[in-house]
Amino acid sequence: MSADLSVRNYSPIAQRAADTLLRSLGGFSVSLQIPAVSAGGDAAEIGITTQTYQQLPLSPAIFRRVRIPLSEGAPEKYELMISASAIEAQVGALQLTSADALFAQAAGVSVNGKFFLIEAIAAPEAFGQAYLYRLQLREALPQDI
Amino acid sequence: MQNAKDTFYVTLRNRLATLNPNRTMLLRGVQRPGILVEEAEAVVPMLPADVFVLRWTALTADVNLPLVLARLDCEILYTTGGTQPASGLDRGRALEEMDAELLSLLSPNCAPKMNYTQTPPVQLNTPVFWSAADFTPVTTLRDRLSRSARVTVFAYQEPGEL
Repeated sequence: MSADLSVRNYSPIAQRAADTLLRSLGGFSVSLQIPAVSAGGDAAEIGITTQTYQQLPLSPAIFRRVRIPLSEGAPEKYELMISASAIEAQVGALQLTSADALFAQAAGVSVNGKFFLIEAIAAPEAFGQAYLYRLQLREALPQDI
Repeated sequence: MQNAKDTFYVTLRNRLATLNPNRTMLLRGVQRPGILVEEAEAVVPMLPADVFVLRWTALTADVNLPLVLARLDCEILYTTGGTQPASGLDRGRALEEMDAELLSLLSPNCAPKMNYTQTPPVQLNTPVFWSAADFTPVTTLRDRLSRSARVTVFAYQEPGEL
């Protein structure tokens, strides 16, 4: 993550500007999938118990393809930019310590009903505070129902 | 084969909980010993640090025996960046600690095979046993040291077993 180590006082201007830009460029709503019920025990650890997930709505966000796929069969990659204020709201609601803790729990992101896996996360900062979260996503391969 | 894989994992997990109760992780909202089966967890871009990750790879079967003998290769991966109080300067020591822990986890090299799909788990008639660990050289990526150990797990396929 890029860090802004300036000693200026914090101002939410960068976060507000980012939110405005995200809304003006589409302002999608996406969902972060995180485990709904804490499943413990042998069965959960060896893949017998089905894990249930809850969808955390995140908005505004922008979703776009990173590049045109060059190789046959390779999964396409996408970039998702999410408002830092939306992430902060969910971190607060779930009483987590940081956005990293939230993303560490996430299984992936659902966009228009399609599931994507998170490959990398970056958070550009201004005044020492993240104003945007950039997620690199990969299309999840089809799974048996 | 699945019973053998499950038994191997649960045996190592229980031994780790006894050997080093401090090696824990928070995964899917649960605090548990620092060992996981890669194929039973969500896909992650980078392996978690300071935990053992079991990855099942090759499978061969010897059918010229009264019971089919399955040979499953298990790659045990682990990585560490040391501890924060030591600014990561103890990463070599942390890796060595994990090497020693893994050797202890794998000894003794057998366990009774269990069927964990039933509650409570049912003990089967044959054991699961495994070879000594074959360690790879350390891989350094920025501030992280990583190593893997390959273990071959043997198990007889009992009649009616999946």
